[in-house]
Amino acid sequence: MSHTAAVADGLAEPSIPRSNGTLAFDAPWQGRALAMAILLVERTDQQWDVFRRYLIHAIDDKPERPYWDSFATALDTFAAELDPD
Amino acid sequence: MSDDHHHPIPRTAVEERVDALEALLIDKGILDPGAIDAIVEYFEHEVGPMNGAKVVARAWTDPDYKSRLLANATAAIAELGFGGPEGEHMVVVENTPEVHNVIVCTLCSCYPWPVLGLPPNWYKSAPYRSRVVREPRVVLAEMGYVVPDGVEIRVWDSSAEIRYLVLPIRPDGSERLDDSELAALVTRDSMIGVARL
Repeated sequence: MSHTAAVADGLAEPSIPRSNGTLAFDAPWQGRALAMAILLVERTDQQWDVFRRYLIHAIDDKPERPYWDSFATALDTFAAELDPD
Repeated sequence: MSDDHHHPIPRTAVEERVDALEALLIDKGILDPGAIDAIVEYFEHEVGPMNGAKVVARAWTDPDYKSRLLANATAAIAELGFGGPEGEHMVVVENTPEVHNVIVCTLCSCYPWPVLGLPPNWYKSAPYRSRVVREPRVVLAEMGYVVPDGVEIRVWDSSAEIRYLVLPIRPDGSERLDDSELAALVTRDSMIGVARL
C-alpha cells in the first residue's frame, strides 16, 4: 500500500497498548481512530509527531482516563484544528 | 470487523464520538472511507512476534522443519502461512551453545515484519544500530543479557534484500511442552537476539 511510511510511524507510536509487541485493540473503533489519525497526519505532510503532541496533551490532561478515550479526544482536537469549520 | 450484527456490548459515548467524527470527515471529503478500511485491514493482518514464535516452536519440535527453515527460511516460514512485504527474503540464524546471533539494520530499520511485526523503537535508534556492530557484548549486557565469555557473537546486518530471524536455544525444562506452549515462551527480543530464553 502507498501509506507504508505513515502507517508504520502511527503503528510505532510507543504509547499504544500492546500485547507481546502487537497492537492491542479492545474494540474496532480504536483501530478506526488510529487509522483516521494516520490519514490526517498524512494530509498535513508532516510527521506523526504533529499528532503525538495532541495525544500527549490529552493523556496529560486526564491521566486516569482510559488510553483510547484520550486518543479519541486528541483526534477530535487535531481534526478540529485542521479543519475549523 | 464484520461482527457488528451481534453487538453484545452497548456502544460507549467515546465510540459514538469517533463514529460521528469519521462520518463528518468522510462527508466533508477530508477522509476517504476506502483508505480508512485499507489501514484497518492492514492492522488486522498486522502481524506480531507471535508468528515468529510459532516458527521457532515448530523448529524446536520438528527437526525436519528446522532443516528446511535453516536451508530456505522464506519457504519454511511460508509453510506456516506467514510472508509478504518485508519478509520476502528471510534467513534464520541458529543460536547454539557456542554462537549467539543478533540482528540489526545499520542503514535504517529493515526488520522481518511478517514474523516479528513492527520494530521496537530502540531497534531503530542510532545508538543501537551503530554500537551493536562495534561492541555487541557491551550493548547486549546493557540490555540485560550477559553473553558468556566463551560464546562467539555474530551480528547480522539486515538490508532491503535479506531479513534475519534468530532461532533461540530451546529453554531447559521445556521438553514436555507442546508447540503452542513453547511459542508462548518465545519473546520478540530473543528472536532479535538481544535476550535469551
